[in-house]
Amino acid sequence: MEDRKSETERTAKKLMIATSMLLFSSHKLPGVRGWELRRRLGKNYLKIIDALNNRLNSIGLRVKIVFDQLSSDSPARDDFDKARFFVTLSEPLSVADIVAAGWNIEDVAILAAVFSYIFTKGGKASEKELVELLEIKFPRQRVEAVIERFTKKGYLTKFEDDMIKVGWRTLAEVDEKELLKAITEIASPQQNQRRDNTKEEA
Amino acid sequence: MSREKKAISREELERIIALCESIENKGLDPFSVNVKELLMKLRRILEEYKDLDIIILDAETLYKIAVLISLQQKWLKERTSSLFIDSQLVSLKITSAEPKQLAAALARSWRPIVRAEQLTLYRLRQGIEYFLMLPPKDRAYEKLPATQEDALHILKGVGYAKDVTLEEEVRRMHESCLMMAGSDGEVDYWSIVKADTFEETVWRAYVLSFVVSEGLAEIKKNPLTGEIKVIPFLSKRKREKVAAFVVSLRGGEVSKDLGRQKK
Repeated sequence: MEDRKSETERTAKKLMIATSMLLFSSHKLPGVRGWELRRRLGKNYLKIIDALNNRLNSIGLRVKIVFDQLSSDSPARDDFDKARFFVTLSEPLSVADIVAAGWNIEDVAILAAVFSYIFTKGGKASEKELVELLEIKFPRQRVEAVIERFTKKGYLTKFEDDMIKVGWRTLAEVDEKELLKAITEIASPQQNQRRDNTKEEA
Repeated sequence: MSREKKAISREELERIIALCESIENKGLDPFSVNVKELLMKLRRILEEYKDLDIIILDAETLYKIAVLISLQQKWLKERTSSLFIDSQLVSLKITSAEPKQLAAALARSWRPIVRAEQLTLYRLRQGIEYFLMLPPKDRAYEKLPATQEDALHILKGVGYAKDVTLEEEVRRMHESCLMMAGSDGEVDYWSIVKADTFEETVWRAYVLSFVVSEGLAEIKKNPLTGEIKVIPFLSKRKREKVAAFVVSLRGGEVSKDLGRQKK
């Protein structure tokens, strides 16, 4: 009986440690690596993370694991050790929530366009073609400034002079499939017009 | 003729390598190249020339084509994961959509990272506990005076400070300079500065330096005789030129009886 009690206490303590490690990070980058969790929580750290995930779900949060590069289709123990663990929201925000949090709606729109274009271009695209695509809708300087700002924030990564790929933060925060689905579902102005006309006729 | 043909074949191989490299580096569609055709060309060149140079180049080309095939596999995987959505379709959607629609699309797929940026009470308590546990760097700091008066008292005790007001001392020194000045308005430096003890002499020299700095007197040195004269003024004067004046103790300028107690 006492053994079970102490076991429960130990697990509760480990859950607390895992929460503080994941939320209160002193590194420049948020989140922690799997090996760091293993060192503090023991070899069964994935079970602790799973238990924490269940608890976090009830308050709208979740533990997100971003793997560096998978050695096979299903992640191995080594992959988990090298992976980065974050806490993210479990449900997406609304545009109103994002604006209320201080984000500019045009910046978010540029970011959406950049991500979706890069995703469909096999994970990388040149900055030149991104700017050319977006300057139809937004001022060139603004597009360049947004790309620069979000590169610093870790959403984008620049490499080989002019090439851009998505950064670690995008991999942790953005669901690629969901974004592309949402982009393709955007109705064109003609479709919107037609829909409005049908509504009026009805 | 054969040499020309060989050069053309070589060029052809180099072009294939460059093509494969550009697809790999720029992330272009790897299916835009006909791999079968490239391999046929490669085979033909290899059959025609058994030259070492060509064989090496051929091997390199074959490697680049192999990389291209692996890119095709990766491309297919990525296209499957992105629901076979073409970049052209996305470009079209981007150009036709309103900024708000684009923002809404990202909002649907975006789950921002949550992290605590500020200290928690628990961490703060931990910090305080740690701080209290730390031994002082130097035990002497523990005896540091709490107030300015305490600090002054310590300085007086070790002889670094005097129980006098410097302004008053400067005024007195100026007055004595004026009194001692002869008809030419000058007075010998040492006759003013010299005192019974070495400490007192240094103190008087120190006070006199303030009199001069304040513009109430001037110091002149005769470069031939080494004589130093103080010229006191009745009131403050603004000096045009300001220079530092050093009286060296080593140079023998201090009189021999300086610092000796009067008998």
